[in-house]
Amino acid sequence: MKKHLKLLFVATIIIFMKGQGSSVKAQGIMGGHVTGNVQLDGQFSSRDSIIGATDVPEKMLSNVRADILYTNGNFSAGLRYEAYLNPMLGFDPSSKFKGQGIANYFVSYKTQNFTVTAGHFYEQFGNGMTLRAYEDRYLGIDNALRGVNVMYRPFRGITFKGVLGQQRYFWETRGLVRGVDGEVNLNDLITSWNESKTRLTLGGSFVSKYEDDETILSDMPGYKLQLPKNVGAASVRMDLAHGGFGLQAEYARKGQDPWLDNGYIYKPGEALWLSASYSQKGLSANIQAKRVDNMGFKSVRSVNERQMLYINYIPSITKQHTYAFLSMYPYGTQTTGEMGVQGDFIYKFKKESLLGGKYGTDIHLNASLITGLDTTLVGGKGTDGYTSSFFGTGETYYGDVSLEIAKKLSSKVKLSATYGYVLFNPVVEGHPGDIHHNHVLVADLTWKINRKNVLRFEAEWMGSDSKYSELVDDKRCGDWIMGLVEYNFTSAWFVSVSDQYAYNDGVGNYYNVSVGYTKGATRLQLGYGKQREGIICIGGVCRNVPASNGLTFSLTTSF
Amino acid sequence: MKKIVLSLSIIILTAFAIQSCDKIEQNDDGTYTVYSGAVGEWINGNGVADKSQRALLEKYTGLRCNNCPKADTVIATATAQYNGLLIPVSIHDSSFSFCRPWTFSTPTGNEWSHYFGTFGQYPQAIVNRSLSGSSFDRFDPTSGITSHVDPLVQQSAKVAIAADAACANNTINVTVNLEFVETVAEPLTLTICIIEDNLVATQLQPDGHTWDSNYVHNHIFRDVVTDMWGADIDCSGTAGEKRMAVFSTNKINPDWKLENCHIVAFVSYKESRDILNVVECEIE
Repeated sequence: MKKHLKLLFVATIIIFMKGQGSSVKAQGIMGGHVTGNVQLDGQFSSRDSIIGATDVPEKMLSNVRADILYTNGNFSAGLRYEAYLNPMLGFDPSSKFKGQGIANYFVSYKTQNFTVTAGHFYEQFGNGMTLRAYEDRYLGIDNALRGVNVMYRPFRGITFKGVLGQQRYFWETRGLVRGVDGEVNLNDLITSWNESKTRLTLGGSFVSKYEDDETILSDMPGYKLQLPKNVGAASVRMDLAHGGFGLQAEYARKGQDPWLDNGYIYKPGEALWLSASYSQKGLSANIQAKRVDNMGFKSVRSVNERQMLYINYIPSITKQHTYAFLSMYPYGTQTTGEMGVQGDFIYKFKKESLLGGKYGTDIHLNASLITGLDTTLVGGKGTDGYTSSFFGTGETYYGDVSLEIAKKLSSKVKLSATYGYVLFNPVVEGHPGDIHHNHVLVADLTWKINRKNVLRFEAEWMGSDSKYSELVDDKRCGDWIMGLVEYNFTSAWFVSVSDQYAYNDGVGNYYNVSVGYTKGATRLQLGYGKQREGIICIGGVCRNVPASNGLTFSLTTSF
Repeated sequence: MKKIVLSLSIIILTAFAIQSCDKIEQNDDGTYTVYSGAVGEWINGNGVADKSQRALLEKYTGLRCNNCPKADTVIATATAQYNGLLIPVSIHDSSFSFCRPWTFSTPTGNEWSHYFGTFGQYPQAIVNRSLSGSSFDRFDPTSGITSHVDPLVQQSAKVAIAADAACANNTINVTVNLEFVETVAEPLTLTICIIEDNLVATQLQPDGHTWDSNYVHNHIFRDVVTDMWGADIDCSGTAGEKRMAVFSTNKINPDWKLENCHIVAFVSYKESRDILNVVECEIE
């Protein structure tokens, strides 16, 4: 049936195109336009016992995707071809992505006040705490919904959204998700508020999943769980702004939802997210806080794949570090329970000031701290599980502080220096061990030789109290140094050479060489080297990265 | 008109929100559970995702059986080769003097050995308790065993089986799920065994006179959780039917190292003893 639907969809587009005289010209098809992009990533990896890389029986692994979008006035339609032949390392631990096919297809009609989409779609309500259907190809996540998505604006300032569908699960769809969202922008709605400096938007959403009954045995022999078939989650939110000040808040609550990751307990979930900010020219400050308690929300209660079938998303409040050693221990959001706070401050010392010098100086200070909840156990599977104190904190999960100072030394040379401190509790990755304390120093120098030639040097050092042991086998442990040289020339080519070396209490020497070429919308990149096993997180959502050793390549193009 | 649409929208959304949540009432003991059946009682299950057809290889052996180390090597190679589709069990028999000392023998193992007629010489093996004519298809496992295993694992499973096991408070609980891929009209039984690996004990070697006191014995049959001939499966046996049951035992011998133990569970015809499918799982 699914195959028939896909074939029907593809056939509709082809007929739609061909029925108009097969006129495919640069400016488009029958007045419409076809755009798209193709991405091909591949890797060869061979055994390296020191870093833990294993042989790849297929020799070459590849992830391919091609998006095609047809737009004609208010109408649009698209599809995405994906191929995992076979999936690259780390993307498919459960071996369910292997294969190829049309993974995503949709048709959509859009006017100023009304949009309807049928097929696969992505959607987010507020911060996503009740619903966020999204994809991240680098994490191997695609939580697209397949069904119907409607947006309607009955008045200026009021927006309703409705979704109904099933979630993508590798090459299938599973679960049943229904949701509504309403948002009121009072400044647009109330004429006398139109020009007010104070701007206020209020919103609320409700999302429900349906799942049939199943037999989940209690810890008490002879008893099974009474499962809710319909589980709902609701949230309210506000966004207040006045001049440079901003205040955003969202509170979400979820009904009884016993599922695999929470140990099949019935405690209602809740999450609170707060953000206050101030900005003016040359300065911005932001402070965020959140509390999450049993708020993971999946469309299928008993599914092992860690990141698949999530209906909601809990915003991350730790900085997405870009430098290698600062991002070596990324923090993954603990949907079962956490509390956190983050502060972020950016200031630009003006040109010709004492600290600004001739070109000005930028400083960026960021700090975050995440802990568990203060909980009291009341039972196991089939009970409320635990109680928690709203303001109480549990063990420390993660903390970091980073200070980056960036200064242009001359018209061609820019230097950025960063100090960072990272505290990481391995319990958040599901294994015991001592808390790691890491200190990181980074120097990043960019020399713009001329308009077409840019040279960049990066040096990093990390001192850690962690020591590598075969028992835990965490190859991030130890003290590290790193160097990188990157040369961009003729505006089209770049070449970079880097090496990360665990010089004390660690293992591994991870060298990499990369060459890239860009022409128009096409980019080709080749790399050779070693990848340390670890974890990458984007927005608090993570995936494991196994060790690899060999050639990687990437080709992207768009049209 | 727009106000009507807006009002209707709000009413529909509110009704949707109120109606779209189930609330389970808490029991007086703080749980949200309901009686599902006594231990050993069959209830409707969730089905079995892995519908592989596997084979159980029972090797009848003894410490004085000098060709048994050869059989162990052949079986270990075949087990790796079949990649989870072949599940070996070693059963020690105390009935005959050449099997002494009787270190790993059990009453159940002795009974099975007698029943399947493996008397003459050891080692002897039987796969899925298959019949050859009117008697069980016994063979010497020191030579190739693939001709006995291939025909069994290459057919599609009539019944898929999955098992989970956990030990708490000195009790092993084994949850078994069955899913009928094809209709099976005959009465069936489920047998659950406790198997232990990495047991170091003496073993006579192939030269017939050397005893290796550090020989590592694997897949040693320890006991059954169910009756030795299995517990009756309460089912209609129609294709698509999904059944599950929990079985428990607190007869845990202190000599067993539970961290080295695992569970082997198999479904067999009640009359012929012929095994339809088998699975193994760790004890958590």
